[in-house]
Amino acid sequence: MKTELPWHSRFDLLGITFLLFLLGAIGALPSIEGSGRDLDYWGNLSRFTSQFFPPDWSILNRTLEGLLETVQIALVSTLLSIVISIVLSICAARTIAPLWLLWPTRMILNVIRTIPSLLWALLAVVIVGSNPLAGVIALTFYSVGYLAKFFSETFEAADTDAQQALRSLGASPLQAFQFGLWPNARPIIWSHCLWMLEYNVRSASIIGYVGAGGIGLHLKLYAESADSWNKFSLVLLCILVIVTVLDFTGEKIRQSIRDKLEGKKSN
Amino acid sequence: MSTPLLTAQELGLRIENRTLLKGLTLSLNPGTFVAVTGPSGSGKTTLLRTLAGELEPAEGKVVNHLDCPTRLAMIFQDLQLADGATALTNVLGGSLGRHSFLSTLFRFPSDEREKALHLLAQFGLSGKSNQWTSTLSRGERQRVAACRTLLSQPQLLLADEPVSSLDPSLADEVLTHLSNSISGKNGCLVCALHNDEQVTKFADLVLRLDPSDPNGWKLEDLKPKEVA
Repeated sequence: MKTELPWHSRFDLLGITFLLFLLGAIGALPSIEGSGRDLDYWGNLSRFTSQFFPPDWSILNRTLEGLLETVQIALVSTLLSIVISIVLSICAARTIAPLWLLWPTRMILNVIRTIPSLLWALLAVVIVGSNPLAGVIALTFYSVGYLAKFFSETFEAADTDAQQALRSLGASPLQAFQFGLWPNARPIIWSHCLWMLEYNVRSASIIGYVGAGGIGLHLKLYAESADSWNKFSLVLLCILVIVTVLDFTGEKIRQSIRDKLEGKKSN
Repeated sequence: MSTPLLTAQELGLRIENRTLLKGLTLSLNPGTFVAVTGPSGSGKTTLLRTLAGELEPAEGKVVNHLDCPTRLAMIFQDLQLADGATALTNVLGGSLGRHSFLSTLFRFPSDEREKALHLLAQFGLSGKSNQWTSTLSRGERQRVAACRTLLSQPQLLLADEPVSSLDPSLADEVLTHLSNSISGKNGCLVCALHNDEQVTKFADLVLRLDPSDPNGWKLEDLKPKEVA
């Protein structure tokens, strides 16, 4: 006779986590309160959004200049963070670094990740003043917290067989890393870098709000001056275009790397 | 008689409480092609890895008489290639033991690149040298692994089923290259093989393993006159 498994055996870690999430969200509902006033939500929304249209195209050139500065901040900070993260991630990878180096590095990365990008931007503005350099410093620190974690996890998950084979053929540990482990980790690391670049373009659009350069300053000015929501909407539109282009290009490149790694492209 | 490159004395192999082999005494002499045969699970890979020094024998001992440990190299059954690197870079990995980290950091020396390209051409892969190994077929990857090991210029080469994914004519070609490269250096090639035709065609000595009896291994001299 077929015996059914007890009902609770269906709950694995994934199921329990989802259940806890659901209970937490439902439990939080009563504490989410509105103002208690009788407001016309739809009316407010439509009045406010109608001010966004039509976008004011007269400021396009100025916006594009700000956008260029935003992209430049994102490019430089992503490059700097990649270089720093590669070094830190090697120190934070369990399969590479000794324990005495592993834990302090991971602790430093945890501290860096705790600070949000806007706070990094404020700190940088206080130190170097209100300029794009502050943006670069802020986003570099912010990105290192994430990239170094992603990189170290990639190194830990990468196939180490080739590394061991090269060691047995006489390669030094550094050479075995460079030619055995790094090529297996590189495509995933490159994919993380692209994601970080996309993310930094978005972040660089915001940090200007606190004076760290880029298009964020324009957003702040238009939001604070009267009747400028149509200018604000043009800036948003430009950010949307650049983020979509980056997202599309990044996905194409990532897909091509995945195909190549899975051996789908054999010319 | 020349000094053997490696000797196994009263060797016993065991995996997870299963005894694969007992009492094997074997000398690997220069200029010899030794074939190891036997059905899957008979202990061919375990024997090669023990001879390579990767595994400790359960009984007996392996004595390596080579002047430099890197003169012993292995072609692994699972190939152990870097998938995200080109075939050429993988092959060049075989030369790393001869160079410092700094001298290979940005580019391999041109003479090594030439040797690697020559090997790839010999093994019919000249058109694939710049392709990632992940995009190559199993047979092509097998040949890349063979090239990498040959570039390390071993005197004793342990090859674990190096031609299992190749068609018979290509397999013969690869075995000829391996055999010539090793015997040219007065070395010894130990090769796990499944195909009896390849064994009789290339091997001087064949070790037949018996999965049902650890003492049932047989060592046959196939070319007694030439060996003598």
